[in-house]
Amino acid sequence: MTAALVSITLRALLNRRRTLLLALLGALLVLVAVLYRLGNPTAAESLDVTRRLLANFGIGVLLPLVAVIVGTSALGSELDDGTIVYLLAKPVARWRIVLVKLVVAWLVTCVLVAPAILLAGVIGQDDPQLAMGYAVASIVGALEYTAIFIALSLVTSRALIIGLAYVVVWEGVVAGLFSGTRAVSVRQHALAVAESFGGAGAGDAELAFGFAVAVSAVVTLGAIVLAVRRLETVELRGETS
Amino acid sequence: MGGAGIPLSADHRVSTLKLEAISRWYGNIVAVNDVSFEVGPGITGLLGPNGAGKTTLLHMMAGFLAPSAGAVRLDETPTWRHAEVYRAIGFVPEREAVYPFLTARQFVAASARLQDVDDADAAASRAIEMVDLGNAADRAIGGYSKGMRQRAKVAAALVHDPKVLILDEPFNGMDPRQRLHMMDLLRAMAADGRTILFSSHILEEVERLSDRVLVIIAGRLAASGDFRKIRRLMTDRPHRFTLRSSDDRRLARELLASAEVDAVELRDGMLTVRTGDFGALTRAVAPAAQRAGVSILEMRPADESLESVFSYLVRR
Repeated sequence: MTAALVSITLRALLNRRRTLLLALLGALLVLVAVLYRLGNPTAAESLDVTRRLLANFGIGVLLPLVAVIVGTSALGSELDDGTIVYLLAKPVARWRIVLVKLVVAWLVTCVLVAPAILLAGVIGQDDPQLAMGYAVASIVGALEYTAIFIALSLVTSRALIIGLAYVVVWEGVVAGLFSGTRAVSVRQHALAVAESFGGAGAGDAELAFGFAVAVSAVVTLGAIVLAVRRLETVELRGETS
Repeated sequence: MGGAGIPLSADHRVSTLKLEAISRWYGNIVAVNDVSFEVGPGITGLLGPNGAGKTTLLHMMAGFLAPSAGAVRLDETPTWRHAEVYRAIGFVPEREAVYPFLTARQFVAASARLQDVDDADAAASRAIEMVDLGNAADRAIGGYSKGMRQRAKVAAALVHDPKVLILDEPFNGMDPRQRLHMMDLLRAMAADGRTILFSSHILEEVERLSDRVLVIIAGRLAASGDFRKIRRLMTDRPHRFTLRSSDDRRLARELLASAEVDAVELRDGMLTVRTGDFGALTRAVAPAAQRAGVSILEMRPADESLESVFSYLVRR
């Protein structure tokens, strides 16, 4: 049962051209790191620039962009085109559908983001621990983001647009301007993880590691509960009623 | 999802869908209005014009839509928010969308796996053969014609051998041969004791297949029961015909004299005849024209659209 759900979800996600195009965005991050390193920067410079590259581009742009596209289409595309009926007409617990969709969307996001961050981090500077720290951060952030975006796709049919607006406005602007909002910023949670796992050069995150992980867990669980509740009461309307 | 362990019918096949005074409204718009009926074993046709509320009704019956009032039960289990009922229900939606990247075999096998069917691949092969899709089963559904998609959807709906099969406009897009094949298949399933409910806006489809008919118009149940009884109601209603002839005035005079004609009207160069006996009038027109010495150029029913037939039923 679960294998069939995984297979359908995975094939639906990987068949989308836009998902595959996201792999190119990851490649762009690696390319920037390569070009920068070809300029023979000093060790201190390369550490600083690569850290900022991974934080601002890897965690700040690549991760949320991939997560919003993969997360909102994991269930949202089936809701949009009506194929969700083939899942809902089965004796499958709705929490199981949500969890399988979440795990698949999370893994796809990780595959599209974490290797690119790891590679860019290893190429851009000399400390592999820093690269590893940001890769782990992207994996943790991917789970929180995809849970949020799957829940969003069950709340609104304009999940992609609203998700992009959230990434740009909340994560990009509001959390940057007002320190009080950083407690509920996925990006800040991921940066706290990067600092904790990335060693001395990983920068100074705004949030303490334990606090960031706790809030991240609460947000992820809340999003999962919301998604399950929404899927349990989702209504299908005919084209002609 | 709740509902696990809720018993369905003790019999392994027979199930009854009960609609208890269900209504569904969207804001101020009432899509289904206080509808009650039971659907048991055999084939029941849900007939109504487009936009009458058939799909809303079917979606409520299949548990995809919450009734605003009333309840739908499969035996004793409400269909809304009880995923367990889908062990007994197969549903074929009207919407064409099917995962385009899967082959029909993969699609039907996935349905079998999601239903926890033992040996899903063998069950999928059986279902595909039942709908006569064997030759195309290993091609991606994205390249299918409408009729082939329809058959793939039917195969997926019956792969777990459901006691109840609900089909929304199942014959859409099928060619006549496929239609006949599908009708034979549904008849065989009904003969086996299954409950089959399908919707259609085409009278002939319902006539050929259903033992029992539910007529829904503007969200209300206008008529229900044996098809022949409803057909008789439809046939015995007042009929209007328009006629064109070489001399409409003389023909009108002649027709007025015959007992089968209730009224004639000459307006804008068009002769309209009203009768309560459709068959007798068609037999009376030619002799009347002969007596009047005029030639009939055209004769056509003025109100034979399904909508007008339905409106008549509603007014009764």
